[in-house]
Amino acid sequence: MGRFIVRRVAQMLFVMFAVSILTFFIFNVIPNGDPAVRMAGKQPTESQIEAIREEWGFNDNIFVQYTTTMKKVFTGDLLSYTTQLPVDEEIIKGLPRTFALAVGAALLWMFVAICFGLYSAVKAGKFADRFLTIIALIGISMPVFWIGALMNYYLGFKLGWFPNGGYVEFSEDPVDWAYHLILPWTALAILFIGFYSRVLRSNVLDTINEDFVRTARAKGLGERQIMVRHVLRNSMIPIVTLWGLDFGAVIGGGAILTETVFDLQGVGQYAAEAVGQLDVPPVLATTMFAAFFIVLLNAIVDIVYAYLDPRIRLQ
Amino acid sequence: MATEPATETTLQGPAAWEQEAEREHVHGLGPWRLGFRRLRRNRVALFFGFLFILLILVCAAAPLWADNVAKTGPTDGHLSDTIQVDGETKNVVGLDGVPIGPQYMKADGKFFLGADGNGRDIMVRLLYGGRNSLFIGLTAALITVFLSIILGVVSGYFRGSTDAVIRTLLDILWSFPVIILATALGVALALGGLKIGPLTIAGDSLAIPILIIGLVYVPYMARPVRGQVMSLREKEFVEAARAQGAGPIRIMFSEVIPNLASTMLVFFTLLIANAVLLEAALSFLGAGVQPPNPSWGTMIEEGVDRIATAPHLAIVPGIMLVLTVLSLNVFGDGVRDALDPRAKVRLER
Amino acid sequence: MAKLGRRALVLLVACLSMFVIAACGDDDDDGGGGGGGGGEATKGGSITISQTSQPDYMDPALTYTVNGIEPLWLVYTPLITYAHEEGQAGSKLIPGLAEALPEISEDGTEYKLKLRDGLKYSDGSAVKASDFEHSIKRVLNLESGGSAFYLGIEGAQDYLDAGKAEGDISGITTDDQTGDITIKLGAPDGSFTHVLGMWFAALVPSDTPFKNMTKDPPPGVGAYMVTESVPNRQFVLKRNPEYDKNPIDGVPAANIDTITTKIVKSAQRQAQDVISGQLDYMQDPPPADIKPEVKAKYSDRYAEYTTASTYYFFMNTRVPPFDDPKVREAVNWGVDKPGLARLFAGEVAPGCSFLPPGVPGFDEALDVDDCPWGNPNEPPDLEKARTLIKEAGVDGMDVTVYGNNDDPTNKVTEAYADMLTKMGFNAKPKILDGGVYFQTIGNQKTKAQTGFANWFQDFPHPKNFMFLIDGKSIQPTNNQNFGNVDDPEITKGIAELNQEPDLTKAEDQWKDLNNKLVERAWIVPYGHRKLSTFFSERMDFDNCRIFHPVYFNDYSSWCLKEQ
Repeated sequence: MGRFIVRRVAQMLFVMFAVSILTFFIFNVIPNGDPAVRMAGKQPTESQIEAIREEWGFNDNIFVQYTTTMKKVFTGDLLSYTTQLPVDEEIIKGLPRTFALAVGAALLWMFVAICFGLYSAVKAGKFADRFLTIIALIGISMPVFWIGALMNYYLGFKLGWFPNGGYVEFSEDPVDWAYHLILPWTALAILFIGFYSRVLRSNVLDTINEDFVRTARAKGLGERQIMVRHVLRNSMIPIVTLWGLDFGAVIGGGAILTETVFDLQGVGQYAAEAVGQLDVPPVLATTMFAAFFIVLLNAIVDIVYAYLDPRIRLQ
Repeated sequence: MATEPATETTLQGPAAWEQEAEREHVHGLGPWRLGFRRLRRNRVALFFGFLFILLILVCAAAPLWADNVAKTGPTDGHLSDTIQVDGETKNVVGLDGVPIGPQYMKADGKFFLGADGNGRDIMVRLLYGGRNSLFIGLTAALITVFLSIILGVVSGYFRGSTDAVIRTLLDILWSFPVIILATALGVALALGGLKIGPLTIAGDSLAIPILIIGLVYVPYMARPVRGQVMSLREKEFVEAARAQGAGPIRIMFSEVIPNLASTMLVFFTLLIANAVLLEAALSFLGAGVQPPNPSWGTMIEEGVDRIATAPHLAIVPGIMLVLTVLSLNVFGDGVRDALDPRAKVRLER
Repeated sequence: MAKLGRRALVLLVACLSMFVIAACGDDDDDGGGGGGGGGEATKGGSITISQTSQPDYMDPALTYTVNGIEPLWLVYTPLITYAHEEGQAGSKLIPGLAEALPEISEDGTEYKLKLRDGLKYSDGSAVKASDFEHSIKRVLNLESGGSAFYLGIEGAQDYLDAGKAEGDISGITTDDQTGDITIKLGAPDGSFTHVLGMWFAALVPSDTPFKNMTKDPPPGVGAYMVTESVPNRQFVLKRNPEYDKNPIDGVPAANIDTITTKIVKSAQRQAQDVISGQLDYMQDPPPADIKPEVKAKYSDRYAEYTTASTYYFFMNTRVPPFDDPKVREAVNWGVDKPGLARLFAGEVAPGCSFLPPGVPGFDEALDVDDCPWGNPNEPPDLEKARTLIKEAGVDGMDVTVYGNNDDPTNKVTEAYADMLTKMGFNAKPKILDGGVYFQTIGNQKTKAQTGFANWFQDFPHPKNFMFLIDGKSIQPTNNQNFGNVDDPEITKGIAELNQEPDLTKAEDQWKDLNNKLVERAWIVPYGHRKLSTFFSERMDFDNCRIFHPVYFNDYSSWCLKEQ
């Protein structure tokens, strides 16, 4: 088991390294304008542009540039081309917001998905089941930015039931913080509720027919006990692993659209803006950050799964 | 990766089909026929399947509408023009910038759903946009299936170092945050286009979003395919073929790939759905279809800007997207159920 | 079984209701009430305002965008400044930190000023004459976008070339004892007094480091001081108590105590917040979508002002098809100016003159009937455009139309491409990010054929606009003469008129140059932009509002309504 973990971590680091190289090269090899000129602002002279090139090392060959940039990522010296402000500070500022969005949405979707999925399984084949399935499918089919923008405008501005986008720091006012996040949480969750409730439903239906459930029933345990203690717990295992992967994916990318629509100014929005401006340092840093989470959660899921699988554990 | 979480199908090849055929008392019918029958009984899935085909046909008929009814193209602006509505002359775009609302048939079909801020016909853009979005979705899905099959089969069949290399590549691609990668590529390529050797692709070509979306989803399908190939490899019929002296390529084409057919089909429908959604997301962020070409994603992006005065600009393309993706999801579900009710094919996000 | 399902649902509903209850509790909540009575304007209070993007710099030596200039005008005052008035009156130069307007020598190369006595920065330290030279040094040493304006000073180029921060500019001599400041120019420059009135020349203490001070702006002499600057989030202006003790004549002290400026990316949200009162002012005009509602329902706190700005399309005269003057004429005939005005939701008044209203040389008739391409308020002559283009043999040619993704520039670019297509070209828009746009089209290598451009005056002198079409300003990179316009007669005219320090004498000649420029179809001007002031209900719209021709909304003029 220990060897497995070590191998997995090594793989993680390798993948991160590869991701960083890929990102850096995508932006530096594809023609995209001269960052030195961009940084020089309005009406600079050739000497000014040359000075910036020297200072930022744009004249060095690409490998040197890569190593310098990567060093800066870890020492926190990375500066944005557009604003010349430190990238790590921006990411640190945005981190709690992205997390608040992702965690809240994830909890919401799990909770609702469990309710829906369980209910559907229990009423399998009946109208309620069909109805919830259709709702779930509609949820999966909606573009998150579309439903988010509509909710923001109609529920937020027109009806005034919710605030009109924006983010309030938890430290300032926890209630207001949650209030501002309800719509974003819902928009992001709608996407996943549908999917998870269906997976849970099918897992529950499968488990119900398993032997150990029949045994439990034969032993005389109440239906409710069976549902919760046996069926649900067993159905949850694949759900939890999927949840881990999806959570990583949300931090890695799904949050971007929601943050942009609701103006939450988290890491995702920062990344989207930086990409639009072809501002390499923030894009590099946010990509690494997002990839790190995806890779981390993947690794955790793998390790947990391996732990549960005796074949690996006993290696 | 030691084990793959719930991503494999549990299809098992001809032997399993026979068993099921026996159960259903329909001997002599191959698995495809069997599946088709089951699909036919699933009214809901059929309905949505037809809906999807209908959407494709309607969007494909965009030029018919544009030339004969609306009499304008998808990128033709009518900023200062006027139209006749019930004998009244109205501005297509008012002096305050507010475009005209849906006219339905009041102006002989012109501006059926109204105009956008640049004076362009929304209905025409919706149809042409659908053409673009669906075309991108279908082609990208094809690319994904194609690449996934190649990578999955090669990796699963040959194992060893080939497998390790391909798996690492897939891991890297998988770890890349999808949206950031796609947006970054989209923005960078839209600027300067793509030049690979003698091949030049213009910045606003649809090929760019197609390639990006096609590439991005490869790990999602390649992995399950690889897992399936690895288990198929050990089956008797493959052993038999090997014993007969068939080379690996022959085996891959005649034994392995055909058994992947149902996986491919199910994945294909789900991939189209995801590709269409991803295209919309990219276009919304400005990294997909480039102006002035329409796509449902760009129309939503433009529509959100005008949500107070002309909400239908954002709502209608969104509804089209939902209908398309919903149809694909329901139909894809139906196909999966029909081919193997116990299969657990899924597409991870 | 049924019970379990129902239980889950009940829990769900309970959770949701909790949220709804919490939600109902909150409402808009801005702090601070108005002050007590006394005087016309209520003193005191705090407000929250918004900008759409982070100011490029919160440093007077470096900033060159409205975002930075608008607030910093009230924080840093140069030797010369403008009257705090609206319209033409605001274009008048008045003494700022100097006692009087400069004494200009006969040959126009020497400017003498004297610093007022007893001036203090917001941190209490005394203002010295040598601070002026230090401030100019910062502009040059930090490679500011404004350096070009000061390179005319003798020794400025040498200072820049030497590259040493602590070097000396030979053309500036100051005496801290008497407060005398003497500036020697290499050649006469009729606009130099205006240049002295630019924010770049605002005085900061001599110990201000030679680096970008955005996160910790230096003290200045002005109605406000910056107390907090968190890039991309917000910055805070607080009333400057030092200034209150000793305000300068013509540069009023502040009414409102605290102004918090938040960066809110969505203009739509800003407008919605100003309507609901969460924000008290937004710097950009409300977006076209909300404009009709604002004009209809909130006209008692919304006003529009025509600014000294020109929106135009450049045509690259070095690249086909625009190297052919007939083609350029054709485009001028065919551009749908009223159509473009619609894209700005009426914020652009269609026009034809290159020099805008408020700048000497503006020709009002040119904006209407005298326009050689037809009255800009009328539909264009598309037929004529098509014919000319066919005759020139460029029918069907590929044209890439450049624009950026700021709203509504992107839509304008698409519309312009559509217009060119209607004229017979095969035109496609190419939208770049706002942050890289001007550098990209300003690079000769891009060979940009045509595209979007605009200019807002830096100061009310025609030179500030004419340099955009001056053959002498053409550069290989960071070119501002995007069309590479090179008309020897116009270039000569500009050079001559530049030397004349008295604008009223030269006004007719500037008008003449303006007309020649437009007649010869060097560019396609289509109008002048209106900006706006949109207040929340708390602000006293009727009594406390000044829209300045150079510095836009004057924060020091604002006050809250009496409670």
